[in-house]
Amino acid sequence: MTMRKLKFALAGNANVGKSVIFNQLTGLHQHIGNWPGKTVERAEGTLHFKGYTIDVIDLPGIYSLSTFSLEEIISREYIVNEKPDLVINVVDASALERNLFFTLQLMELEVPLIIALNQIDMAEKKGIKIDLKGLEEKLGVKVVPTIAIKGKGIYELLERAVEAAEKGSAKPAIVRYGEEIEERIRRLTETLEKIRLKYPARWTAIKLLEGDEQVRREIYDLNPEILQLAENLAKEIEEIHGHPCPTVIVSERYEAAGKIARETQRILPRIKPSLSERLHEVTTHRILGYPIMILIVLGIFNVIFMFGGYMSETLSNLLYGYEKIFEYFFGSNPLKEIIWGGIMEGIIANITIALPYIIPFYLILYILEDSGYLARAAFLTDTLMHKMGLHGKAFIPLMLGYGCNVPACLGCRIMETERERFIAGFIVTLIPCAARAVVILGLVGSFLGLHWALALYAINLIIVFLLGRLAFKVLPGEPTALIMEMPDYRLPHLKTIIKQTWFRLEEFLKISFPLIIISGLIIKLAEISNLLEPISNFLSPITVNWLGLPEITGVTLIFGILRKELTLVILATLLGTTNFQETLTPLQMFIFTLVVMLYVPCIATIAACIREFGWKKAAAISLLEITLAISVGGLAYRVLAALNLLGY
Amino acid sequence: MELPLTALREGESGVITSIRAGFGWGKGGGYGLQKRLMDMGLTPGTKITVVKSAPFHGPVEINVRGYRLAIGRGMAEKIFVEVQK
Repeated sequence: MTMRKLKFALAGNANVGKSVIFNQLTGLHQHIGNWPGKTVERAEGTLHFKGYTIDVIDLPGIYSLSTFSLEEIISREYIVNEKPDLVINVVDASALERNLFFTLQLMELEVPLIIALNQIDMAEKKGIKIDLKGLEEKLGVKVVPTIAIKGKGIYELLERAVEAAEKGSAKPAIVRYGEEIEERIRRLTETLEKIRLKYPARWTAIKLLEGDEQVRREIYDLNPEILQLAENLAKEIEEIHGHPCPTVIVSERYEAAGKIARETQRILPRIKPSLSERLHEVTTHRILGYPIMILIVLGIFNVIFMFGGYMSETLSNLLYGYEKIFEYFFGSNPLKEIIWGGIMEGIIANITIALPYIIPFYLILYILEDSGYLARAAFLTDTLMHKMGLHGKAFIPLMLGYGCNVPACLGCRIMETERERFIAGFIVTLIPCAARAVVILGLVGSFLGLHWALALYAINLIIVFLLGRLAFKVLPGEPTALIMEMPDYRLPHLKTIIKQTWFRLEEFLKISFPLIIISGLIIKLAEISNLLEPISNFLSPITVNWLGLPEITGVTLIFGILRKELTLVILATLLGTTNFQETLTPLQMFIFTLVVMLYVPCIATIAACIREFGWKKAAAISLLEITLAISVGGLAYRVLAALNLLGY
Repeated sequence: MELPLTALREGESGVITSIRAGFGWGKGGGYGLQKRLMDMGLTPGTKITVVKSAPFHGPVEINVRGYRLAIGRGMAEKIFVEVQK
């Protein structure tokens, strides 16, 4: 039997259930990575259906095929260059007009198309009924109704998709602009047909009139005269309409989408607001919204740290129990020290941080995101984030940072511009992650009391805010405004959430695992060759004279670059006790923790920063934070000593 | 009467007359943002309703083309509407 190969691309707006459809289609046969050279996620999968092997790619969720964001450029480049056999356009039935605006653009790009009309149950709850036959006729494209989270319509979608792909031909674009525009599109198209283009000529003509930067650049390189012609034609349209040409074209395209939507949907006015609407009302309430948000955030931390703390301890006791068995086989010699201390302890650390803290953190975060709550939190925190030159969406990586800085750094991708990604990346590395929480709670929390631990968190928030504000003032560029869809609240799809969590975990392990093991080995070797004392001596002007700490803390701070929670473990080993009261004064405990909290992102976070922002920026972040920690630590030491708040 | 979107109270509607963010042929962020707003459905002549205005000078939530959109206050100040009674 010969297997036929097909290539499908899923495209559509954000929040339409696209990734759920992707999961339903491809199940476990998925590969998640990045687009080459880009920090945008690329999800691919394979499925077998009626003798076909079908590769499915899930394009990023976007609202238009212009060049506003990297995601938009990637999507359209993929469609143009890779020429999938079929594009499955996932359309949210409850926001038909906006979704069709995107559909019409896909049609202008002249791709073979089928529509998955998703979330029809949610649309019905909003009183929206859609005439499927009517929609099919108006668009000239097959429309399959689906409820992806329940798996409804997926099989039929696949059957129709294969049929459509076999027919192959793209339907002609159905948008007809006003005659004065059409005439100019025709003139431009005729000129464009004479040169070799990777895009369809009519689409290129429209994009030129829309002022699309990328297309303009490409055409300029091929033939500057065509660009000149396009600019002249655009000016003529502007004169006729009194609005800039891009505005006119987008307006008319939206008008076409609106017309189809009006003719094919019936909206019954609702008497009683739905649960989703009432939830929305409460969670964005001008007074109630804030305490609810604080309660949710605190609740999450509570659950994660209680569960994580318990799990982490249990796992670590269990895994360290193997040291005896290990010793039995290898004996007690330097080789054992290197293998166990360098490698095994690295593995244990990865397991005891990753499993108990990162997994639940991601699970909860994805539940919040998929249900729609994060959009509300972004709405409420927008003003605060603006003070740091960011907007509400930055709340999401910031929250992530409390779990682990590595995913938080990667999470900064949701910001639109390079500048905002960097500011967000800079401040998330200052957020005390779960590992730092271990030190804060384990040292200051247990020996000085919870209020001192909370004071550290408060100091941290103030520093984050001030530095964010500073970065915003210093870095050139304008802040981007928040423009964010507020999706309806909905039940999250558990399987999709588990999968997303799994891929995040994989990504985390890929970055952190090798680094932790290699650096663990290096430090173990340094220890064996008696390099630790000279290092401590070397650092003593800072640690002893400036920060007022015992000399051995120098070594722990070096170890801390590997993993922040190690500072506490090493400190206990070097001091020979876990009862820190015997060896450290309260003030020393506080200053030590303050420095650990701020001084440098751990090595895995530095790696994530390098990946996202490049070497230079990662180095800048690291150096800046070391300077910050030393300055703040020394100042705090003097201020607290002068006030005699924690003794001398 | 033409007013910025931020002058509308919750529940009030208006028709977009203009977006006064710096406009140019793809120069700088002004054009990009305006294009972005149009891609989200805020074209001149579109009716929008203010659903909610966040406190502390926060974003404005509007209903446009059958869905809800949140717009930062600074951006919302540049969107002008003809108020409908």
